[in-house]
Amino acid sequence: MAENSIVLGMADLLVVPAPVKLITLGLGSCIGLVVYDSFAKVAGMAHIMLPLSRGLGGAEKIGKFADTAVPALIEEMLKKGATKGRIKAKIAGGAQMFALPGASADFLTVGAKNVAETKNRLLRMGIALISSDTGGNKGRTIEFSTSNWMLKVKTLGKGINEI
Amino acid sequence: MSELASFNSLQLDAIKEVGNIGTGNAATALSGLLGHMIQMDVPETELVSIYELAEHYGDPMQIVGAVFVRSTGGFQCSLIFIQPEDDAGLMVEMLLKQQFGTFIPISEIPPEMTDSALTEVGNIVLSSFLNAINILLGTQHQISVPGVAHDMLSSILDVVASIYGQMGETALLVNTELKVEGLEAGRKISGQIILLPDPESLELLLKKLKVD
Repeated sequence: MAENSIVLGMADLLVVPAPVKLITLGLGSCIGLVVYDSFAKVAGMAHIMLPLSRGLGGAEKIGKFADTAVPALIEEMLKKGATKGRIKAKIAGGAQMFALPGASADFLTVGAKNVAETKNRLLRMGIALISSDTGGNKGRTIEFSTSNWMLKVKTLGKGINEI
Repeated sequence: MSELASFNSLQLDAIKEVGNIGTGNAATALSGLLGHMIQMDVPETELVSIYELAEHYGDPMQIVGAVFVRSTGGFQCSLIFIQPEDDAGLMVEMLLKQQFGTFIPISEIPPEMTDSALTEVGNIVLSSFLNAINILLGTQHQISVPGVAHDMLSSILDVVASIYGQMGETALLVNTELKVEGLEAGRKISGQIILLPDPESLELLLKKLKVD
């Protein structure tokens, strides 16, 4: 059966049965979080923009913040037949696109905070993070295929890293 | 802090005027650097969904060269100068030819030198933009060392989402395009200046312009 390709936009969150290819284009400081249960054959992805909702969560897209996206993604996985103990996670993204020597601005380091908060939420929920490609100063395009449960990470000038 | 979406058209026009004054100054600076006339668009003040930023500015996967600066002081803001990668390359070739008198194709220029030239142009363009605004507002400002990046438009614009995303779903941007005139047929150098006022700075701006 051919894989359907689905491209997720900013703050999107989606869980679908295999076979499927989940894609996010041009992640900078944002995070692409993939979760899957290869036994139940279901996979999900979220395009996370910021670490903490600070009470904004309810009114906005649930995939926007790490603290709201991770629980929502796992809950959706369980609804679609996944078993918590079998769910595995992979993450990519969280780059710092611009470094300004001597300037302090919180938003410039949001990539690292996104990575830290996403990992923290996964840990709290007892979800195994099995691989990641994060940080640095380059954007990433990612593709997750349920044919081999691998996440392809394309970085400009560095080629493809499969995790 | 007022809701961005609740700004009236008079206020948006006032913010646009700030962009206009900044752009004029930036165009003059760029013209002096390159020795060519610069065509400038009338800036636009735009309220854009943070979820659709990249699509709003073009092809999210397009490779661009971008210079980013942060300005602190009375009117806190960030500024980005974005060019399609080919345009940025052509501009660097032109600058180096002016400096050294000989033409070196961009493929033979070391990346460090390309970045250094781009950073310098970005710095001059964006500083000129900021100077004009701060004179208008009567504020003092300090400008950071510029940062430079070459990457997908979508990745570059994540920085906008991280500024505005924490307070809502809309970004307020002042956006303008500069084009270098008088180039050989088939060649083009254009660049976009995007002003990102800190959400907290907008009230000050409107107050100074007496449209609060």
